[in-house]
Amino acid sequence: MSETATRAPEKSGGIRELRKLFAGGGRQYGILGALVFIIVFFQIFTDGKTLDPINLINLINGNAYVLVLAIGMVMVIVAGHIDLSVGSVAAFVGIVVAQVMKGLSFPGLPEGMSSFLTVFIGIIVGLIIGALVGAWQGWWVAYVGVPAFIVTLAGMLLFRGANQFVGNSTSIPVPQEFKFIGGGFLNDFGPDFGFSNPTLILGALVVVAVIWQERRSRVAQRKMGADIAPLWVSIVRLVVVLAVVVGATLLFATGRVGTSFPIAGIILGVLVLGYSFLTNNTTIGRHIFAVGGNWRAAELSGVNIRKVNFFVMANMSVIAALAGMIWIARSAASGPGDGVGWELDAISAVFIGGAAVSGGIGTVAGSIIGGLVIAVLNNGLQLLSVGADRVQMIKGLVLLIAVGVDVYSKRQGRPSIIGLLTRKRGGELDVSPGAKPAGTQTPTPSAGGAEETVRPPDQQPRG
Amino acid sequence: MKKIVIATTAFAAIAALTLAGCASRAPESGTDSTAGASGFAADATIGVALPDKTSENWVLAGQLFTDGLTEAGFKPDVQYAPATGTVPEQQNQINSMVTNGAKVIIIGAKDGSQLSTQVEAANAAGATVIAYDRLILNTDAVDYYLAFDNFKVGELQGQALLDGLKAKFADKAAYNIELFSGSPDDNNAGVFFAGAMSVLQPKIDDGTLVVVSGQTAVAQTATQGWLAQNAQSRMDTLLAANYQGVELDGVLSPNDTLARAIIESVKSAGKPLPVVTGQDSEVESVKSIMAGEQYMTIYKDTRALVAQAIVMVQDLQKGNAPETNDTESYDNGVKVVPSYLLAPLVVTKDTAAEVYAGNTSLEPLTK
Repeated sequence: MSETATRAPEKSGGIRELRKLFAGGGRQYGILGALVFIIVFFQIFTDGKTLDPINLINLINGNAYVLVLAIGMVMVIVAGHIDLSVGSVAAFVGIVVAQVMKGLSFPGLPEGMSSFLTVFIGIIVGLIIGALVGAWQGWWVAYVGVPAFIVTLAGMLLFRGANQFVGNSTSIPVPQEFKFIGGGFLNDFGPDFGFSNPTLILGALVVVAVIWQERRSRVAQRKMGADIAPLWVSIVRLVVVLAVVVGATLLFATGRVGTSFPIAGIILGVLVLGYSFLTNNTTIGRHIFAVGGNWRAAELSGVNIRKVNFFVMANMSVIAALAGMIWIARSAASGPGDGVGWELDAISAVFIGGAAVSGGIGTVAGSIIGGLVIAVLNNGLQLLSVGADRVQMIKGLVLLIAVGVDVYSKRQGRPSIIGLLTRKRGGELDVSPGAKPAGTQTPTPSAGGAEETVRPPDQQPRG
Repeated sequence: MKKIVIATTAFAAIAALTLAGCASRAPESGTDSTAGASGFAADATIGVALPDKTSENWVLAGQLFTDGLTEAGFKPDVQYAPATGTVPEQQNQINSMVTNGAKVIIIGAKDGSQLSTQVEAANAAGATVIAYDRLILNTDAVDYYLAFDNFKVGELQGQALLDGLKAKFADKAAYNIELFSGSPDDNNAGVFFAGAMSVLQPKIDDGTLVVVSGQTAVAQTATQGWLAQNAQSRMDTLLAANYQGVELDGVLSPNDTLARAIIESVKSAGKPLPVVTGQDSEVESVKSIMAGEQYMTIYKDTRALVAQAIVMVQDLQKGNAPETNDTESYDNGVKVVPSYLLAPLVVTKDTAAEVYAGNTSLEPLTK
């Protein structure tokens, strides 16, 4: 092992180091590159309107519900299932929440308290209904064994009808106070620097967290004796990430007075962090990948497959409930046409984000990036006044090409476009054991055994 | 050493974050949107957000807006919502128009109750919002409403149905009819139906008209999404359930697309054609009327409506308040929206040539 560690850098030099910049997730960085390209493209062609603060806020508020759905959907797809019912479940929960809040009144209480209670009860009721719907669908999938495709196809009809039944096929408005979760902003406070202060604080928190995380991972790598990237790699990565964070913070902080980073965006951020942790660092999270990759093997290794399937399906409906509430908050009303086609938006985000159709592969962060690719594309084309017909054609092609490139590069035995590029530049180095892609090397007791334990990156479950 | 480098990076980042205090936030836009007090540039961007292309009228309106606004010297930004994800995409489109600096945004809403956040943002950015054909509900950010008088449309349809029945079945004393209404998420659908029922209900009560299925409530007669397929399948069901051995004499249909679907359903059931009402003067329905199938339609000249919308934009550009002729009827739940209403016209086989005179696409069909 020490031999590989010392020999590799002198043979491959900068390329190996460069790879460590994108430690682990080559596939994700390919689609991230596409996102950056699309943003730059539209920024140029819309005369800078794409990165206008108000446009960015619209982008987040207008797509938060799809991105939230994508978080649940990637777990469903990784586990080898599909959920077609999310749009209908979101619409059903939305209409029930709107009805409940419409019917609530607290005569004895002061105005503020009463509206707080109304909103609070509305959200709790929504989440509970989501959980019940999820338990229903999860039970059919996990314990009866009906394929998720069928269960959720039934759910799609069932809950669409339920939405129209509850709402009498009409739109029901939600109270003004409820709108904050879908279109609200943090209240500004403190002295006026010409920025939204809460957004600045939020940005500073993210900066600290990013630095702490980078440091922690270096410490952990050193402690485990893993192959540590040189310091300059860490610094470059930090600088790039921090530049993006600071840039975004400044943009979001300079919107119209009264705006800040949107609350829907904060909800989304918390969910992304939470579910990334769940899928990467917890037993149940890793079991999802195990079941999706090879359920027979997973079962033989003692994974409770039913539990995993039940969890994944139930969780999806709770997330759909949340998405439904974010949507009705943004729209200020719940209508009979809500949620139509959302399942397909979420599924495309997940696949553009690098998930495998056969299950076992996919990441929360990748799916969010995939969703953002579609969102930015949609927004940019709308800013350019491209008609909805052509926008749909373009979105269809992007989905096909993104997944096509992914499938093609996997067949090449490389994880991504970046993998392809670096392989060409690495040339003949591939023959030496030291030229295995960075990040896949695992410390093993004997030098001879290292060869067998290194799996090609595309077969590795990715977090 | 390493710690120092990391700390420096962090410090630099935070410093950049705090030091950039020179950049100031865009202030609340100063222009007073409600009266368009000061007007705006003669070549300003005008946003037109239309729903999905479910009827020929919307397709025509988009074309007329693009041409008319360009001719008047404005920069038109005309966008249709797609057929799927219609409401969210229409919201996004309105936001894009605000970002593009539109001074007036004309909105043909898909669902008038789900756009309040967006029109409020438009208002806050200084744009004037005109609800076109469909009222936007539950917000005070709608400045004007421009439409045909929809209650009148309903009344005309109801009256025409009665007249048609009397003319076609002169020997009968009572007529069997069925009722259809539009999509429940469209505010107009209820207004059409209420207008029609204001004429028909007294006749149902006195027994002149018999709704055999008994379905007379708006919810029962609704056609989700104004979709022809929904009307057709409901008609199929009604015929199978209620008209075995009973004759159907008339159908109240809120528009042409649904009227043709209903006629299609009756034909495939092998029944004689009833008197069917319509609205919108779609090309296919005008042909159908001339062929003696559909009984009537309503002509709401999209050209006149678009022309009026452009006149309103021009008034706003000069800083004048646009003309309105109804400041009482259209309450959107938060405020009464000042409205300009145009009068609709009834078209039957006998009057078609006269009404469509001068309309290049419809006039030839009447010859």
